[in-house]
Amino acid sequence: MTRSSVKKCLGKGLVFLAVFLLVASLSTGQAAERVITIGAPLPLTGPLSPEGQKQAQGYDLWAETANKAGGVKVATEHYKVKIVYNDYQSNTPRAVQLAEKLITEDKVNFTFSPFGSGATKAASGVSEKYGMPTIAATASSEEVYNQGYKYLFGTFTPNPTLTEPLSDIVKEKVPAVKKVAILARNDLFPLAIAQCMDASAKKRGFNVVFFEKYAIGTMDHASALTQIRGAQPEWIFATGYINDLILIRKQMGDLKVSAPVVTMIAGPAYKEFVDAAGPLAENITSASWWHPAVRYKGEDVFGSTENYNKLFREKYGIIPDYAQASASVAGCLFQIAIEKAGTLDRKKVRDTLASMNVMTFWGPVRFGETGQIISLKPPVFQIQKGTQVVIFPPEIAQANLLVGVK
Amino acid sequence: MLYLQILVNGIVLGGLYACIAVGFSLVWGVLNVINILHGTFIVIGSYTAYFAYIKLGIHPLLSIPIAAAILFLLAYAFQSGMINKVVAAPVLTTLTLTFGLDLFVNNLLIVAFKADYRKVILEHPLGVLTLAGITIPEDKLAAMGLALLLTGLLFWVLDASRVGRAIVAVRMDREAAALMGVKVKKIYALTFAIGGVMAGAAGSLISLIYPISPLNSLPFLGKAFVICVLGGLGSVPGAMLGGLTLGVLESFGALAFGPEHAVTLSFITLILFLLFRPTGIMGKRGYE
Repeated sequence: MTRSSVKKCLGKGLVFLAVFLLVASLSTGQAAERVITIGAPLPLTGPLSPEGQKQAQGYDLWAETANKAGGVKVATEHYKVKIVYNDYQSNTPRAVQLAEKLITEDKVNFTFSPFGSGATKAASGVSEKYGMPTIAATASSEEVYNQGYKYLFGTFTPNPTLTEPLSDIVKEKVPAVKKVAILARNDLFPLAIAQCMDASAKKRGFNVVFFEKYAIGTMDHASALTQIRGAQPEWIFATGYINDLILIRKQMGDLKVSAPVVTMIAGPAYKEFVDAAGPLAENITSASWWHPAVRYKGEDVFGSTENYNKLFREKYGIIPDYAQASASVAGCLFQIAIEKAGTLDRKKVRDTLASMNVMTFWGPVRFGETGQIISLKPPVFQIQKGTQVVIFPPEIAQANLLVGVK
Repeated sequence: MLYLQILVNGIVLGGLYACIAVGFSLVWGVLNVINILHGTFIVIGSYTAYFAYIKLGIHPLLSIPIAAAILFLLAYAFQSGMINKVVAAPVLTTLTLTFGLDLFVNNLLIVAFKADYRKVILEHPLGVLTLAGITIPEDKLAAMGLALLLTGLLFWVLDASRVGRAIVAVRMDREAAALMGVKVKKIYALTFAIGGVMAGAAGSLISLIYPISPLNSLPFLGKAFVICVLGGLGSVPGAMLGGLTLGVLESFGALAFGPEHAVTLSFITLILFLLFRPTGIMGKRGYE
């Protein structure tokens, strides 16, 4: 090579190097805009999409509120929060795959669980494997938390905390109730809570005359409902997710199945259920882990239940239900834990969550040995004149139980 | 009393099932094409009825002709454009083609409409009929009645019209039919289109009763399969009988073994029939 051509090469090489260094410094410059990413695999489409969308609304409101208030404080720096969504189309195996992808490929700092006890349990193996602190906003069954995992935390109290107060109320207020019929979706949470209901009912001397499961995806409940009608129970307890319960309630109407007390979990807490069921929703009872009528003042970024309700209504135009509130508080709990720990180190954040004892807009938060929350008092409510009203606990009760579901 | 109600539930369900299956049976029996798109066609029919109701206020029962027309054009296009190219090929080839097309169309529906459940909630819902202590929801009764009507209409078309006889002729002997002046490719396309029409009509009826989502296409297809094997392929009365049998079987099966095993029972029946009576209850294959 000639001298001039070597010079040309060197020259080009230097220019290239300079450009490369500039670009590299710009990219690290972007990374210097500090962001905490939280992975959220959700059923944004598919039969569970109503529930998935609610979780997303809850996360988004928290992220937006936290960022507006300056972000999450980690030691002396402020970090913005970004939720990374992946849609698993209501397909549980895909939820597990995406949970792993979020950790290994998207390299998120923390994760939220998918929707529901079933998918949460399935994906929890992944987060435990990678030592990834995960908060489950929608998993209540004790079976989810019985694997000895250290990195999973849940904001719902165990299922008996719903069925026990319900059974007490019915036993006390509706002495005519002797026979109970239970129809459960063959899925982790709906079946688990049905089994808890069975236990709670038997404990109080009720006669469980019917207890059957229906397959996921069942669209015709005529046979089961006909059998229930034949058994003439005074209390019908149906479990499933919102789409199942709307269908069951409609088909109950078709077959003229009625009872003094009809309880459905989990669906009547949502406005969508009341809208879809119309007059058939009247007097249906249910229980959940939170209700907008509770009044707590918390350390979280929302400050109080009233403020949470207000901000939610401003953003979405509707009153929040427990699904959105639980998702928001999951975000708040990560924020509180990170700020208390003063670091993004996963083990330290995990330890902070495990020993946490705080008041939030959701209620008092303290996790038990298994990672499931143990400090809440879930409300029981009934749909009266098209609105959900709280009937328990007495401190926040808005009405009394009405008997008779046509 | 309980058993009578269960029987009535089964018959009413069976009428609907028959409507789901008859188009599928026709296409399989005549063209020897297993149309995996059938479930998706039904879903398209349901969406047509749904959007016709919420955007134009047309009652789902009245949008049957609209859904039928849309599916006719769609199915005709698929058949003459693509499936006709492989229609003489082994059945697995056509199955693969329709499977691929179904993946494409179904996912297109998910992108367009999302996989969420839609429900046609009528402003003036149809009521409930009570006869001698037996309750029958009027929407299911209407669906069953129309299913019988459409099936009867199809049977009449095949029996009495020129086109119908041509379809039967092509099934019996393709070469001989061609020699008789029948335009075989056109008949194939027409048959597939009629299958689409039946699927669209069924979809319109179903929108009244079940939720609508692209994810429901596979369960419908599964039912169609079982009914065709039960009733006998390519036979319109067979589809009717198969549908009724399946409806009653599932109804009583849920009573005997619990609702969660109703689907398992139908597939066990399918396997038993395939093993011991593959020609189905009617015992014949093809059209007479």
